[in-house]
Amino acid sequence: MGRYVVRRLLQMVPVFIGSTLLIFLMVNVMGDPVAGLCGERACDPGTAAQLRREFGLDQPVWQQYATYMGNVFTGDFGTAFNGQKVTELMSTAFPVTIRLTLVAIVLEIVIGITLGVVTGLRRGRPVDTGVLLGTLVVISVPTFVTGLLLQLLLGVRWGWIRPSVSPAAPVDELIVPGLVLASVSLAYVTRLTRTSIAENRRSDYVRTAVAKGLPRRRVVVRHLLRNSLIPVVTFIGTDIGALMGGAIVTERIFNIHGVGYQLYQGILRQNTQTVVGFVTVLVLVFLVANLVVDLLYAVLDPRIRYA
Amino acid sequence: MPEQPYEPERAIAGTGMGGAMDLAASEATTLEPAPAGPLGTGPVGKPRSLWSDAWRDLRRNPVFLLCALVIVFLVFVSLWPSAIASGSPLTCDLARSQDGPGPGAPFGYDGQGCNVYTRTVYGARTSVTVGVLATLGVSVLGSVLGGLAGYFGGVWDAILSRITDIFFAIPVVLGGLVLLSVVTSNTVWPVIGFMVLLGWPQISRIARGSVITAKQHDYVQAARALGASDTRILLRHIAPNAVAPVIVVATIALGTYIALEATLSYLGVGLKPPSVSWGIDISAASPYIRNAPHALLWPSGALAVTVLAFIMLGDAVRDALDPKLR
Amino acid sequence: MLLEVRDLHVEFRTRDGVAKAVNGVSYAVDEGETLAVLGESGSGKSVTAQAVMGILDTPPGRITGGQILFEGRDLLRLKEEERRRIRGADMAMIFQDALSALNPVVSVGDQLGEMFVVHRGMSKKDARARAVELMERVRIPGAAQRVRDYPHQFSGGMRQRIMIAMALALEPALVIADEPTTALDVTVQAQVMDLLAELQREYRMGLILITHDLGVVADVADRIAVMYAGRIVESAPVRDLYKAPAHPYTRGLLDSIPRLDQKGQELYAIKGLPPNLMNIPPGCAFHPRCPMAQDVCRTDEPALYAVSPARGSACHFWRECLHGPEQ
Repeated sequence: MGRYVVRRLLQMVPVFIGSTLLIFLMVNVMGDPVAGLCGERACDPGTAAQLRREFGLDQPVWQQYATYMGNVFTGDFGTAFNGQKVTELMSTAFPVTIRLTLVAIVLEIVIGITLGVVTGLRRGRPVDTGVLLGTLVVISVPTFVTGLLLQLLLGVRWGWIRPSVSPAAPVDELIVPGLVLASVSLAYVTRLTRTSIAENRRSDYVRTAVAKGLPRRRVVVRHLLRNSLIPVVTFIGTDIGALMGGAIVTERIFNIHGVGYQLYQGILRQNTQTVVGFVTVLVLVFLVANLVVDLLYAVLDPRIRYA
Repeated sequence: MPEQPYEPERAIAGTGMGGAMDLAASEATTLEPAPAGPLGTGPVGKPRSLWSDAWRDLRRNPVFLLCALVIVFLVFVSLWPSAIASGSPLTCDLARSQDGPGPGAPFGYDGQGCNVYTRTVYGARTSVTVGVLATLGVSVLGSVLGGLAGYFGGVWDAILSRITDIFFAIPVVLGGLVLLSVVTSNTVWPVIGFMVLLGWPQISRIARGSVITAKQHDYVQAARALGASDTRILLRHIAPNAVAPVIVVATIALGTYIALEATLSYLGVGLKPPSVSWGIDISAASPYIRNAPHALLWPSGALAVTVLAFIMLGDAVRDALDPKLR
Repeated sequence: MLLEVRDLHVEFRTRDGVAKAVNGVSYAVDEGETLAVLGESGSGKSVTAQAVMGILDTPPGRITGGQILFEGRDLLRLKEEERRRIRGADMAMIFQDALSALNPVVSVGDQLGEMFVVHRGMSKKDARARAVELMERVRIPGAAQRVRDYPHQFSGGMRQRIMIAMALALEPALVIADEPTTALDVTVQAQVMDLLAELQREYRMGLILITHDLGVVADVADRIAVMYAGRIVESAPVRDLYKAPAHPYTRGLLDSIPRLDQKGQELYAIKGLPPNLMNIPPGCAFHPRCPMAQDVCRTDEPALYAVSPARGSACHFWRECLHGPEQ
């Protein structure tokens, strides 16, 4: 087990370097980071050159990347061009997004698994067909459309929620945005659980459990569900990174000042340090979540052995 | 050992009807490709029974037929939008801002006084173009890279796997924002280019997997033993049999690319006005959501139906090819 | 009588039609008795057992007629909750493939202990202790340590012992063993079969042994019921049946066992294939494959004729078969 973790950690290194380098290159090579600083006007060449020196932009890209990563590992994510520390931005943005992601994951688990179990046990009945069709619609309609529609109906028409979330972003205001963020994954969790339940329902060990005279509830929860949820847990785990990255759209719709908002602002203003810093953390979250899921797999399924 | 007159009775309980029936049902239409013609001397062995079985299922599937109808209509509209909408999507009259339906404008007018119906009709072209071209690009690049890696294995396979890992670690919308925010060209090409760049790993994984499966079939081993070249084995024996899963995934991906284009345009980095795109229209309509919801709902509806049609079509094709997934 | 199945009918409704899996089966098992049910794939032997246990998949399965009397009560008239209480406690089942029949992600101790927790309301700790006792009872070495292990960590024979332990946990009056040794190596088969027979004698259980292996039957069974196309075609005490079968199908089965004293001879095989359950031949279902078939077999379905008080045969020509052409 220990050796497996070490091997996985080593495997993560090239992926981490590759993806952060990719983003670093995109940001630095594709655009001129200084251009964003002088607003709409073109920069005065002297000022531009000075800024470049100041931010180390006159050095070759690979050297910039190496310096940057060196700093990152000492906890220094650099300074945004407006003088604010990137870590400061992070400390206000990440708690909001983490809260939003948690709401989304809880909804995914509660609603998705419940619907999946219900439909998996009633395959071919009207409930099943209805939910299945619903999941397809949710998967098909882009998140921003779902979000805008919910905002229109719940926020504007019926006034059940505030159309935009207040800066403090308390959990109760994040429920609808969380639902929007989770919607596509929720549909996937439903479908995955349904398939898994339907498959395992006919399995020999479930028949054994019935033959043992266990109550139906115990058969479903203890025997059927425990086996069926293994792939679902895997999906939800890998989804954490995707949700945090996908929060851009949701945060924009509901005006939530989280990671997505900061990234969006950073990209529009070509704020290199902010963008690279936030993406680096997101990639790390994604990789760590994947590792945790892999290890969790061994806990859930004793047949898996890591050597 | 003499032939046993008896067979152990196999798990009748599993499905009630005795394994035999389920087995027969699944054997008829498994994704396992049918073997190709012997050593490439005969006609190339397309997985004929697989496709014809799937086609027989699909022809009777109302969902498939409906989706196909919607898609045919979409393609028609994007080729000849003027056939069903008069006027130009760019002719707007501020005096009509946020007006409801009127003659020649069954969907009303948006915040800029543009005809929502005309813009929605013309928006189909962008979506279909981006969807089809991005899917083609992704499928070709992904299949070639994934197929070669799966066939030759070894170092190239390992490198490709790591590269796909890297791409999977970057959230798609985020990558799109970063890459496209610096692009000044207001055409579909950068958007398509970005999708191909970030989309190919998905197809390459599928292609790699199915090539590895196909490679292990006896007829491929036999062809190799008889000295057929790699090119010949890949093109005549493996490609025809590995293509089914790629087609299924590509169909579903086509829908998601259309959705992605709209999302990027909504965020302001995909296409920008004066281009016509459902994403732009939805973004432009969202500030007027209170007074002119129709300007938001029509392009949203068109987008949803389009994406739904492609995804459900892909779903139906997959089910037809592999009933076990149902 | 402990268990009496009377005129049971089961059918399966599928997309392609209705399959008649069980067509009027009657058999009985008494306390301490072993009944072997013999038949090919699709003969309905397992479906009958599932109907008795109440674990038939419905739909597609459906019991369309008959009675299942267990200790005098008709199980088919009981509510599901009442049947559940009987399952596991008063009647239990041993399945063929223990690897798939045991839950892969629950330790064997928990799976065994569950019987006591659910049916006897024991605490988890006491149940665990009983699980260890049970594992020792079926002679699993190092039971106290292995109680925490998962099914995949045991060998095939050990897994089947655990399956047996689970079935016998609450000392049920009736045990149904569905091909309990088929999935095992030949060397292990005998050990497991001996263990089962020993425990059966000890607890004086009624045992229904479903099998296709005539060799197993000869040693442990008291009576044999031979099934074909969802019917019992012959029912007899084990010795009588081996000595002289009263149905051509049984005769075919016996003749197709390889025998040491007939080395070199071509082995007999029943010609043809088992019938399609969606389209069972009229008259005697066996007639297309029967060497003795006459016109009457194609039209009239034979009743189960009483060959002797303890013996029945569903063949119009059972006399001819019984005294049949001397070989």
